Amino acid sequence: MKNEFVVETTALTKAYKGKMAVDHIDMKVRDGAIYGFIGRNGAGKSTTLKMICGLARPTEGDIRIFGRKADDPMCARWIGALIESAGLYPNMSARQNMIMKARCLGLADEKSIDRALAITGLADVGKKKIKHFSMGMKQRLGIALALLGNPDLLILDEPINGLDPEGIREIRQLILDLNEEGKTFIISSHILGELSRISTHYGIIKEGNLIEQVSRESLEKKCKDYFQIEVDDTKRALSIVMEHEPGIQAEVCDKHIIRFYHIKDGAGLNRILLENGLKLYASGFHHMDLEEYFLNRMDCMDTEKKEEGENA
Amino acid sequence: MLNLLRMDLYRLMRSKAFYICLGFLLTTVFLCYGMLFLVGTPKGQETAPKIGMGALVETGGDTSILDGMDFIEMIRKSCMDGGAYHLVFGILTAIFVCTDFHSGFVKNIMTLHRKRWKYVSSKLLTMGIADLFYLAVCFGFGAVMNLLFHHMVPFGEWRDILFYLSWAWLINMAFAALIIMLCVFTKNMAAGVSMAVVLSCGLVVMPLAGIAGLFNADGWFPYTLYYNMSSGPSFYSMPADLKVYAVGFVFIIVYTIASVVFVTKQDV
Repeated sequence: MKNEFVVETTALTKAYKGKMAVDHIDMKVRDGAIYGFIGRNGAGKSTTLKMICGLARPTEGDIRIFGRKADDPMCARWIGALIESAGLYPNMSARQNMIMKARCLGLADEKSIDRALAITGLADVGKKKIKHFSMGMKQRLGIALALLGNPDLLILDEPINGLDPEGIREIRQLILDLNEEGKTFIISSHILGELSRISTHYGIIKEGNLIEQVSRESLEKKCKDYFQIEVDDTKRALSIVMEHEPGIQAEVCDKHIIRFYHIKDGAGLNRILLENGLKLYASGFHHMDLEEYFLNRMDCMDTEKKEEGENA
Repeated sequence: MLNLLRMDLYRLMRSKAFYICLGFLLTTVFLCYGMLFLVGTPKGQETAPKIGMGALVETGGDTSILDGMDFIEMIRKSCMDGGAYHLVFGILTAIFVCTDFHSGFVKNIMTLHRKRWKYVSSKLLTMGIADLFYLAVCFGFGAVMNLLFHHMVPFGEWRDILFYLSWAWLINMAFAALIIMLCVFTKNMAAGVSMAVVLSCGLVVMPLAGIAGLFNADGWFPYTLYYNMSSGPSFYSMPADLKVYAVGFVFIIVYTIASVVFVTKQDV
């Protein structure tokens, strides 16, 4: 069953009434990875995950799971999924919902139910009806359901939605522990800070296109250190700096903020600006995190698209 | 598919709707027996004024009302032919199937079972088992009521009871297949329940047959589910009586195939 890629899609496409929700995606998720799947609302994350789970039919393209075609019944046994909200019967207890899924899987042993409830912190509320559950508890139960049957691939769409900080920490640790056991994860989340703490690989999707797939190491290299200044007049500040440090890489973020890359002497830059009579409100070195990288990437794409539109 | 069937039966046995619907049917049978006892038997006509229901005897008292009626006819008149059974059974089917979509649990099922026919077959078999249970309980309860009301109607032949039960079960399965098809198509509980109400009462078939009758084109009416549900034979007398099995079987196949197509084509 060992394959380099646990999930491999080729030109995976989904169109709704002629509109592309997912556009020829070639996604590759390595065995043992925690794949953070990032994108804006409506970018096509959930649709992609649904297609991998067999909940939506691709318009075009191919999906391979552990090297097998996705419609192979064996693939379903290897996947545990929590897509969008946790699907639970409200009038049944947590345990009864787990029994339902266990029967669906053909599991006779109820120990796996106890184990899944215990590791998601729901061992004490097994008899409580779902309609009395908080959103966070439902989300935990959704994860417990996904864990049932000991799947090798876990697909979690917004798994920490509605969880309190303690819950987030527990789920993070749970994911890391299971990953250490050899399980592969595909996780989509808007909480990028949290995702960056656990992901080993990232996929960035925009308007149905997978614009980048990158490992954590590569991303670290791409997330450049920069020196940011906040001044009253960015235009003048930029010209002064360029005069003293020709060839410096700079980026004007808004009408007060400029970022300078590959710079070592921040204090020297501050001195030049002050000597030239500029009002310097703040300055300092920063490291770009996943959120900034993602937003940067999105902005670049938007700008490119705008320019293409103007040229056309 | 057996895994899905086990899962569905587990849920059915734990759903309130299953017991509420059964309670409603048994109440209907009880009320029917009670009313007929009061208006159709001399002992009942004596009892009615004592329990404040004298007006019922004055307006509808008629001992000939039970002439020629046997146990099967009694059950048919109490809940089957008028559509009460199909109404209740249809609503139960709609609630049972639509809850999967309404709760979102269908995502857990469909992720594991990618062959959609298994899902539809499991639902149909579950409703078939529920139907068998309901029919058995209704007939059993009717038999107890008959004994309690001093053998109001003769039991008739076992063979006839089994004949009626067997085709009624098949026709009810076809009706369940129809409701399942509509539910997997709409995925909406309100729509499913509304359609169960409308279709069980013949509100679609009857006006259509009436309009078609104006043009002498209503030859299809005896082959409809509604006609067979309400006017199928009470006992076997000739091979043509077996037509009801064919109608039930054909509709089960057609609606099941349509359900599988809908559930396969649509995304969850």
